[in-house]
Amino acid sequence: MSIKAFELVPAIERLKLMSDKARTQIECIDVCGKNLYIGTNDCFVVHYILEGRPTQAGRLAFHSEKQGHKYLALKKPIDQLKAASALNRILVLCDHTLTLLNMMDLEPVMSGAKVKGVTYFCLNDNPVRGNPFSVEVCVALKKKQIQVYTITEDRIIHVKDVSIPEQANQIGIDGHFICAALASQYCMVNFETGQIQDLFPYDSESTKPVVKRISKEEFLLSGPNALGMFVTSEGISQRPPMQWSDNLLGVSYVHPYIVSLNDEFITVHSILDQQQKQAIPFQGGSTIGDFDGRVFISSAKEIYALVPVAWEKQVQALLADKRVQEALDLAKNANHAGLSKDKFLKIYRRFQQQAAFIEFSQQNFDEAKELFKEGKVDVRELISLYPGLMPSSSNFTRSIPVLHEIADINNLSKDNDEMKKDYKRFLRNYLEEIKGTTDGHGFKQVIDTALLKLYAEINWPELIPLIAVDTGCDLKDSVEWLEKYERYHALGLLFKYHGENDKAMQIWARLVNGEIKDELFPGLQFVVEFLSNINDPELVWKYIDWALEKDQELSVKIFTERPSNEPPTERFRPETVIDYLHRFPKAVIAYLEYLIFQKKLEKEKYHTHLAVLYLDSVLQLMKNNNVKKEHLDNARSKLRHMLQLSNMYRVQLILGKVKEQDMHAECAILYGKLEEHDKAMRILVHKLKDYVAAENYCFVNSQGKDPTYRKRLFHILLGVYLDPNNERKDLLVTPAVELLNRNVTEFDTAKVLQLLPENWSVQLVKQFLSQTVRKSMNFQRTVRIERMIARGENLWVKEACIAMQKSPVQMNDDKMCAVCNRAFSDPTFVRYPNGVITHVHCAKNKHVCPVTGKLFSICSKNS
Amino acid sequence: MTASSADKRKADLKVIILGDFAVGKTSLICRYIEGKFRAHETTIGAAFFLKQWGSYNVAVWDTAGDEKYTGLQSFYCRNAGAAILAFDLNHESSFESLWARFLPLLDNANEDCLKVVVGTKLDMLQPGSREVTQEEARRFAREINSNLDQKKLDRDPYFETSSKTGMNVTEMFEFIYQYCLPLSEDKKISSLATKRTSASTSTVDLNKPAVSAPQRTKCCFR
Ligand SMILES: Nc1nc2c(ncn2[C@@H]2O[C@H](COP(=O)(O)OP(=O)(O)O)[C@@H](O)[C@H]2O)c(=O)[nH]1
Ligand SMILES: [Mg+2]
Repeated sequence: MSIKAFELVPAIERLKLMSDKARTQIECIDVCGKNLYIGTNDCFVVHYILEGRPTQAGRLAFHSEKQGHKYLALKKPIDQLKAASALNRILVLCDHTLTLLNMMDLEPVMSGAKVKGVTYFCLNDNPVRGNPFSVEVCVALKKKQIQVYTITEDRIIHVKDVSIPEQANQIGIDGHFICAALASQYCMVNFETGQIQDLFPYDSESTKPVVKRISKEEFLLSGPNALGMFVTSEGISQRPPMQWSDNLLGVSYVHPYIVSLNDEFITVHSILDQQQKQAIPFQGGSTIGDFDGRVFISSAKEIYALVPVAWEKQVQALLADKRVQEALDLAKNANHAGLSKDKFLKIYRRFQQQAAFIEFSQQNFDEAKELFKEGKVDVRELISLYPGLMPSSSNFTRSIPVLHEIADINNLSKDNDEMKKDYKRFLRNYLEEIKGTTDGHGFKQVIDTALLKLYAEINWPELIPLIAVDTGCDLKDSVEWLEKYERYHALGLLFKYHGENDKAMQIWARLVNGEIKDELFPGLQFVVEFLSNINDPELVWKYIDWALEKDQELSVKIFTERPSNEPPTERFRPETVIDYLHRFPKAVIAYLEYLIFQKKLEKEKYHTHLAVLYLDSVLQLMKNNNVKKEHLDNARSKLRHMLQLSNMYRVQLILGKVKEQDMHAECAILYGKLEEHDKAMRILVHKLKDYVAAENYCFVNSQGKDPTYRKRLFHILLGVYLDPNNERKDLLVTPAVELLNRNVTEFDTAKVLQLLPENWSVQLVKQFLSQTVRKSMNFQRTVRIERMIARGENLWVKEACIAMQKSPVQMNDDKMCAVCNRAFSDPTFVRYPNGVITHVHCAKNKHVCPVTGKLFSICSKNS
Repeated sequence: MTASSADKRKADLKVIILGDFAVGKTSLICRYIEGKFRAHETTIGAAFFLKQWGSYNVAVWDTAGDEKYTGLQSFYCRNAGAAILAFDLNHESSFESLWARFLPLLDNANEDCLKVVVGTKLDMLQPGSREVTQEEARRFAREINSNLDQKKLDRDPYFETSSKTGMNVTEMFEFIYQYCLPLSEDKKISSLATKRTSASTSTVDLNKPAVSAPQRTKCCFR
């Protein structure tokens, strides 16, 4: 847990200081700019000019020159001194008296201003009264009191007294809060209100009280058991305590470090994690202080400076120790004085990059990933750690100075295969995440190629989408890699993506033929889809034979599922295709079906061809005795469907064949097509005895024709049922009556009554008759209502018209057209309902007023 | 996680845990924050953890049970909204310490500080090894909270936990939050929602006035 945050550098050496008097010792010091003041145990104040200069070795060396000294003639040690440069004064505490000296010549101020009975004083760095030509000082007195003063060049002005329960040893002040170490406990005093809050007790025997202001409204105190306690002005703690060592002498703070001094060590803690970071052995130390961010330490005879090691160096050292989190925390929180935000970010980013590779080398993949992203690491730096993954065409070299010492992942994983896999998995995840984001910007080829290689190696299903969609993969490299790992389907896709369709087809054909294998290859289906979508007739014709031989029904899709936006070409003309498909009967049928049902081509040749093919297959099945009935029915219903639906085929041709085979249902359809309805329906009624079909026939064959046509069909059917020459006519009474009852509206009642045989009872046709009567009643009434409504409407319009014309319109020479503003020469004019008058030809729209744009609806009365 | 400078922002609730040395205070908090039971060093003075709960920041202070730190414990109790008084179910003396030593320290805590009594190391109970009965611990818990609004307490503030198995640990903290950080119904939903989208919980603007959040969610859920 160590870090080199500071270096101890001598500032003023023993000899130079006290060559004259052997028993003189340093009691206290203060540094203000280049001025260094020393208070001695024998009542001297000594003034030096101290300058730090960098040596050739890049370190800091101090040069000091004594300016003068002053003996205060009290024979007591100088307890405290503090320069106030704004006033050009030094505040000196000696023999319980606070006085002012001139900063330059060390002479006491003329006014002789002083405060007596003082045990300790401190300056308010966050004064309540912000006068730049005064300082605010808080003093602890021998009696149980604290006082606040404002000090100007030569005056000490009393501001406030606060009584406290015990004498205060040490105090710190911030704003109007004074934190005081009393004899047995710490307390927080609000000097504006006089309110005192107890903090915690301490044992003055074993603990030297320390009150150090850390920041606005926060103090650091030395607690029992050498705990460094943080306390806010509210009297609570917002940071956990810090463990110091015993015999603490003093504390300083240079963000982010707390430096403490005891009799043996200078110890550095971080305020960020409260942990100890550095310990410098140092015997005989007596005081420590930070002055404008510079820490000085004195022993009895010497003064040292604690020079901060540049934070960049500290961070670098931490990184070298692989203490990533600490390093980055420090970098973030270090004092960035003198760095612009951009510059700092640049430095910080480089640290993040280094940190990323450290985490990477330790398999802390989550941390590494975040850092790679945040540090915006050039992805090639990472990929190049994986042998063979960079495109062979890349001439990338790692950045200099190097970000890491890693040779490659083989080296990192020391031939541990599991670990190697983990590294590859990491890269895969990482690349997938940054692919397409700004992090991966500009490296598409590198990323895609690396991913392809990673996927290929483990046969990852993502390989297919990677290649199929907008891939940046380097062709030459990838082909080699895919061949090596036998990812043939992917190889085909890659060729396809790069427009090398013939090469792609060669591979897929071999896959289909089983010459090579790849689990990810979806099969012939895929090839058919590919060929049907490809705009390359040469290639299609090259492979079509092969494909159809593999599977006719599937492969015919190459013709039937062509892209809808493909321009028609000679090579795919239906005639050409049909001629070609001759050898493949199933394919021909599928193709004709496509032409007729999908493309809706109305060419007699295709329709007849398909009908004949359907019929052939039916006949084939009929010839064969042991065919399942189902199959035959299926084939016939397909045929019938086609016969019914299409009007393009040559009916006579089919009819001839159908009649030979006694295929009555088909016959009926064909007669229907020839409009020989009587024949058709006789077949349905007498041969097939399918009365429902007969009724249906009337609907089907009258579709799209006018209602009288349908009526006619129904009457024909009724005629067939009631044919007096039929010897089985009794059997047809029921279907006839049912027909009548179900389709009342389709019949002409008068005609029906004439047709009905005399011997039928009224009871038999009662339902039909009553419905008929009701129907005509209803019709009559509806017509009457309509007539009356029309009359009402007519009256209404008339009334509106009269209302509009009621008021006269006077026309004279002064009247001008509201549109063109010219006089009226004709006797005709237009008046809008709102009174606007225009020429007839100026009234463009009678529903819109040309002046106001008002709309006049036709039934404006309603609105 | 120990607190760093970034955590100087004010917490919405301060929870402090008190109890004898080695009753398992640090283990309890460690189990809650990290979700595991692991070895750690003895606590020096105090330690500090920040926990996000819904939109609230909760500061959990762990203290050292050592007698030598007694003076500090009372200081760390200041402003506490809830205190966990932990004792070892297997050691009666640790239970007695609660009222003898630790209860007085809570004078510094908020006046309405919720005091939750927790019996630890439940997993170590053997038949006959229990030295504190549920009844007496429960009664104690009731008594020391008698100054609080009893209507808000839907159960006795007493839990028996095991940091080893995790038994009752989260439940106990949830109980504290439910009491100390009361959420209206719809705020509850939103706290769940933010939990689910974990990314959005990581930053909370504490400068935002506290009332604005529930108001906003209210109108969204209406
Ligand atoms: N079996 C068991 N041991 C526990 C449990 N809680 C704490 N311990 C153990 O008790 C000892 C003291 O725990 P610690 O958390 O340091 O106590 P603290 O001094 O109160 O913080 C440790 O050895 C823990 O492993 C628990 O719930 N079950
Ligand atoms: Mg502990």
